[in-house]
Amino acid sequence: MSTERELHLGLMFWATGTHAAGWRHPDAVADAAYDIGLIQEVSRTAERAKFDFVFLGDRLATDPALQHSNPAQISRLEPYSTAAAIAAATSHIGVVVTANPTYSDPYSIARLLASLDRVSEGRAAWNLVTGADAAAAFNFGRDAHWDTDKRYDWAEETLQVVRDLWDSGAGPDGTGARRIVHRGRYFSVDGPLDVGRPPQGHVVVLNAGTSDRSRELGARGADIVFAGPQPTLLRRKEYYADIKARAARYGREQQVAVMPGLTPIVAATTEEAVALYDRLNALLVLDPDQEVGELVRAGGIGEGHRLNLGSASKVFGVDLRGCDLAAEVPAETLARAGTSEEGARRLAEITRLTRRTVDGPCRITYADLVHITPAPLSHTVVGNPEEVADMIQEWFEEGAADGFNIYPAYVPGAVTAFTELVVPVLQRRGLYRKEYAGRTLREHLRLPVPPRGTAG
Amino acid sequence: MTGGTAAPGILLGYQLPEALLGGPTAELVTAAERAEAAGVHLLLLGDRPAAPPDAAGPPAAILTASVLAVRTRRIGLVVGAAPAYHEPYNLARMVASLDHISAGRAGWLVVTGPDPAADANHRREGADPEVGRQARAAEFVPLLRDLWDTWEDGGFVHEKETGRFIDPARVHVLDHVGPALQVRGPLNLIRPPQGHPVVLAPAAEPLVAAEADVLTVGSPDGARAARAAAGSRPLLGTVTPFVAPSEEAARDLHARAGAPASDQEHAVLVGDPGAVAQRLVDWVERGAVDGFTVRFPSPDAMAAFTGLVLPHLRGAGRFRGAYRAATLRGNLGLARPANRLVERLALAADRGRS
Ligand SMILES: Cc1cc2nc3c(=O)[nH]c(=O)nc-3n(C[C@H](O)[C@H](O)[C@H](O)COP(=O)(O)O)c2cc1C
Repeated sequence: MSTERELHLGLMFWATGTHAAGWRHPDAVADAAYDIGLIQEVSRTAERAKFDFVFLGDRLATDPALQHSNPAQISRLEPYSTAAAIAAATSHIGVVVTANPTYSDPYSIARLLASLDRVSEGRAAWNLVTGADAAAAFNFGRDAHWDTDKRYDWAEETLQVVRDLWDSGAGPDGTGARRIVHRGRYFSVDGPLDVGRPPQGHVVVLNAGTSDRSRELGARGADIVFAGPQPTLLRRKEYYADIKARAARYGREQQVAVMPGLTPIVAATTEEAVALYDRLNALLVLDPDQEVGELVRAGGIGEGHRLNLGSASKVFGVDLRGCDLAAEVPAETLARAGTSEEGARRLAEITRLTRRTVDGPCRITYADLVHITPAPLSHTVVGNPEEVADMIQEWFEEGAADGFNIYPAYVPGAVTAFTELVVPVLQRRGLYRKEYAGRTLREHLRLPVPPRGTAG
Repeated sequence: MTGGTAAPGILLGYQLPEALLGGPTAELVTAAERAEAAGVHLLLLGDRPAAPPDAAGPPAAILTASVLAVRTRRIGLVVGAAPAYHEPYNLARMVASLDHISAGRAGWLVVTGPDPAADANHRREGADPEVGRQARAAEFVPLLRDLWDTWEDGGFVHEKETGRFIDPARVHVLDHVGPALQVRGPLNLIRPPQGHPVVLAPAAEPLVAAEADVLTVGSPDGARAARAAAGSRPLLGTVTPFVAPSEEAARDLHARAGAPASDQEHAVLVGDPGAVAQRLVDWVERGAVDGFTVRFPSPDAMAAFTGLVLPHLRGAGRFRGAYRAATLRGNLGLARPANRLVERLALAADRGRS
C-alpha cells in the first residue's frame, strides 16, 4: 500500500441485529440481548477477525411500539457492565460504551470509563452522544428535551471536565493525583479522580451526530467520528471532507478517523446474498395498509415509520395500495414512481441492493417498494465477498471513510459471515491487518497516549 | 426458605479488601473463586466516588462485579451505590444488568451516609447531592423496584414464527412523580432474573431500611434496635477478624494492624479459629443477628478466615458451605418478589369495580 492510512473495523452490537426482522432469521438468537455468553462469543468472533472494537449503542428510553420497526431499541443490557463482561472474555479488541452526558454528571462518566479502561487494560472507548430520543428527558426528571445548543454546551463542558479528571488520577505507581477544582457554567467538580488515570491516558472518544454542533465537537474533541448514512457516495465524500477540514482547523486532521456504519449482506455468491436480503425483508411485519406516514409513537422514542404500501405510495407519489406485494410492478407504474428525484434515487437503490430493475428480465416488486421506504440506519451492501470488499475499498480509497462500523443484520450469523467471508479478502488485498500490532485500542488506532494536561 | 429441622445457617458476606479490588484481576478472581468454593453467600464491593489526593482506589464496583459475575457461578455479588450520585434510571439498569449477567446473583447495598468529598465531585446545574440526601434515598429504593417491574415476566416473547417480539399488555409506564424524583419509565430492560436484585440497607437509616430485603448493622453487640427493625428479614452484623492458628499469632496480627478496637461500626475479633467461630455462633444463637459482613484488613486475612474459621462453622453445623439455590435470593432464603405494578393495577381495577 502506498498510503499510510489504515482501514479500521468496528462491530456495532445490537442484539436483535440491525435489520428490523433480523432476530427472526433462523441463524439469529432471538433473545440475545440478555445472553452475556452470546455477547462474549460475538465479541471473540470479531476479535479473531482483528476488529478494532465492538461497539455498544445505547438509548435511555424505550417504546413498545417499536417492536416491528426497530426492536433493537426496546431493551438491552446497560453498556458499562456489558463492556466489562466483554473485556473479561477478550484480550485485544476495544470496547466502546455509548454514554449520554445529558443525563449524567462528568465525574461518573470519567470514573466509569477510566474503570473500564483499567478492567480491560487499555481497551475502553466512549461514544459521546447527546441523545436521539426526546422521551429520555421524562426518565430523568425533566419535562422537555433540551435543544441542540444546550445539549452540546453541556456535552462540551462535560468532555473538558472528563479529560481533566482523567489527567487528575494517580498513575500506576500511585502518585501524581491532583485536584482540578473545576468551577464551570454547569459543573462544580473538585477531583481528583479516585480510580486513577486510565491506562490509555485518555479513553478513546467517539462522537455520533449530524448537526453542525456535533460535527464541530467531533472534529475538535473526538478520535473517531461515527457517521450516519448519506444517500450518495458524493455526499459521503463531502461529509468526510467537512470533518477533516474542521479537524484541520484544530490541527487534528490526522487524529480523527471517520467511520460510517455499513450493513453487509454477504454470502458466497451474489444470488445467495440477494436471496438472504429478500428473506430478511420477507420476515418484516408490515403495518395495516390504511395507516400512512410517520408519527411519533407513545413515549416518543424515534419516529415510527409505517411499513406498508400506503407509506410507499406517499414516497413514490403513486397509489400502490391493495397491490400484490409479490407481483412485479408494471413498467409504466415504475416510470411514474421514478419521476421525482427522490423516487428515482430509491428505485436505483432497490436495483443496487436486489439487482432487480425497472425494465430488465427481473423486475422490481411491490414488496421492494415497501422495503426501501424507511430512513436507513446505515448504508447497506448486498453481494458476494469480493463485491462487499470492492465497496469498502472504494470508499476507503476515494476518501469517503477511514473505516467502517459493521452492522450485522442478525446475530450471530451475520457477524460470522462478514468475518469469515469478507475480512480474509480485505487482508489478502493488503487493506486490513492480519495481526494486532498492540494490545490497547489506542495502539490499534495508532493514537499515542496523551501526556498529562493536554486535554483539548 | 429452609424450614424443617435444618439448623439455621449463618449468612456470610465478604467485604472485599481494597487491595484485592484494586489489584490484578487474576488475584481478585482467584480470591472470589476460593470464597465461592467455601460457600460464602456473597461478596460485597464497596464503591466511593471520591479519593484522598495521591491514592488510586479500585475501579468502580459495577465493572468489577460484572467481571466477577462472568468468572464465578454461584456466589452473590453486591455493589454499593449511593442514591446521591446516581440517576434512578441509570442505576436501575446497572444493577438489573448485573443480575442478568450473573444469572440472578446481584445485590445492591444502598449507601446513605454523608460524604463531603464525593459531594464535591458531583455538583451540577440543578443537582446538589448534599441537599435532601436522606429523602432522595428513601424515595429511590422503591422507585428502583417499580422500574424493575415495568416489564412483567413474559413481557418479552421473542417468537420467531409470528414476529411477536413483545407482549404490549405486559409493559407499564410508571409515571413516578415524587417529592425528589420524577421518572416516567418503562425501563429499557427485561425484568431481572431475581425479579428484584437483593437490596441491602443500613438498619440505622429507617426510611431506607423499611424498603430493603436485608439489613446491615455495625457491631452485633448493641444491634437490638436493628433486630427489631429487621423483623424476620435477615440482619447482618459487621465484624473484622484477626485470626491465626494460635491466639498468640492472632494477637500479633492485630497489634501489627494498629490494634483497632471494636466500636459501633464493627466488632473486632481477635483469636484462634475456634474462638472466633464461637463468637459468631454465639451472636446468631442469641438472635442478635443472622449473619455477618466480614471486613478484611488484607487479602491474607480473607484467606485465613476462609481456611481456618469456616471449617469450624461447618463442623458446628452452622454454615452449609454449599449453595442450595441458583440465585442470591434463594441462598439468603428470600422469595422472588411478585410484580408490584401488577399488584397495584389489580388493586386499582378492584377499586374501580366496587
Ligand atoms: C451513526 C449514529 C449513531 C448514533 N447512535 C446513538 C446511540 O447509540 N444513542 C443515542 O442516544 N444517540 C445516538 N445517535 C444520535 C446522536 O448521537 C445525536 O445525539 C443525535 O443525532 C442528536 O444530535 P445531532 O442533532 O447532533 O444529530 C447516533 C447518531 C448517529 C449519526
